[in-house]
Amino acid sequence: MTKFADNLWIDLAREHGAALAHADRPGPGRARRPRPRVLAGSTLALAGAGAALGVALTAGASTPAFAVTMTGHGSVLVTISQTQALPQANAKLTAMGIHEQITIDMASGAAAVSGAVTCTPAPGVSGPPVKVLIGTNGTEVISSGNTGAGTWHLAACQITGDNGSGNSGNTGAG
Amino acid sequence: MSTEARALTRQDRPVAARARSRGRPPSSPLEEFEQVYLRNVDVLMGYFARRCRDPHTVADLTSETFVRAMDGFARFDPRRGSDRAWLFGIAAHVFARHCEQSAGGRDAVARLGGHRTLGMDEIEELAERIDAEREGAALMQRCARLPSVERAAIELVDLDGLSPKEAAQALGVSGVAFRKRLSRARSRLRKEHESND
Repeated sequence: MTKFADNLWIDLAREHGAALAHADRPGPGRARRPRPRVLAGSTLALAGAGAALGVALTAGASTPAFAVTMTGHGSVLVTISQTQALPQANAKLTAMGIHEQITIDMASGAAAVSGAVTCTPAPGVSGPPVKVLIGTNGTEVISSGNTGAGTWHLAACQITGDNGSGNSGNTGAG
Repeated sequence: MSTEARALTRQDRPVAARARSRGRPPSSPLEEFEQVYLRNVDVLMGYFARRCRDPHTVADLTSETFVRAMDGFARFDPRRGSDRAWLFGIAAHVFARHCEQSAGGRDAVARLGGHRTLGMDEIEELAERIDAEREGAALMQRCARLPSVERAAIELVDLDGLSPKEAAQALGVSGVAFRKRLSRARSRLRKEHESND
């Protein structure tokens, strides 16, 4: 190892090691401390037509497709096929070292303007700009027979820190 | 400060070296992170050395990447992807931020990296590393006309040595989409090379 790498490690350990020394780490053979769940996204009862629904998803539900992409300008583009994929996308942000979590507001009807929506950072959040694109054009259609059947678009989104700050007060919290 | 952290001082290098050579499984997250650091510090220095001509900037960006990684290590789950892919995701973010802030005339790195003073021997080492990465930097210049995602695919796999799966994770795309990009990028480079001959 080079002298630079050796000295850097010593400095890292000295200045940041104490916080990490006894941290609870996920991994084989270690129990993972569950993160607080604000809402389980897939079981939400949607509000009536025309009303906006505040969705705060930080854990839970599995799979639908998503992608988190760093753009050349330093911003982050999060593309999700369905709102259910938001927890996965948030987990991906964390895994990429981006300490921000997305909260979205869906409203009924198709998106007036096709494309990604720029998220508003909560006070104190100073990470990279984040844009969210639902589906291919900003509109999600939930087929009949499923919870929240109808056409929805992303009305707004907000970025909070990934320690959960700023998540209280969302519609449906509790 | 914990006993472990206190043990690692610049005046006490042999202690750190002994800890690394034991070869036993890590007994704490700090030791676990040290192994991640040792596996990846060199390749990350190379990543920044291809992008920057100034040894101090390479040092700052490498430091900043590991500071962020250390801050987020408690949440890193190795079952979801390799540590190298995770670190390259952070490095890309750090570099994008650096470019953004440099363009705005602000100090790019304000944490550990920005405050570290390098010794002459460290500066020489980093300058040599920048020199050694010239070939890679030249390849990246040849890729300049490729879309950024294809350029990143070539760099992560062909220069940084990530597996396609790791590179896909670092870029936040699916394995299938990544392999298509990589193949398309290589094919474009090959055609360009042939047309130049």
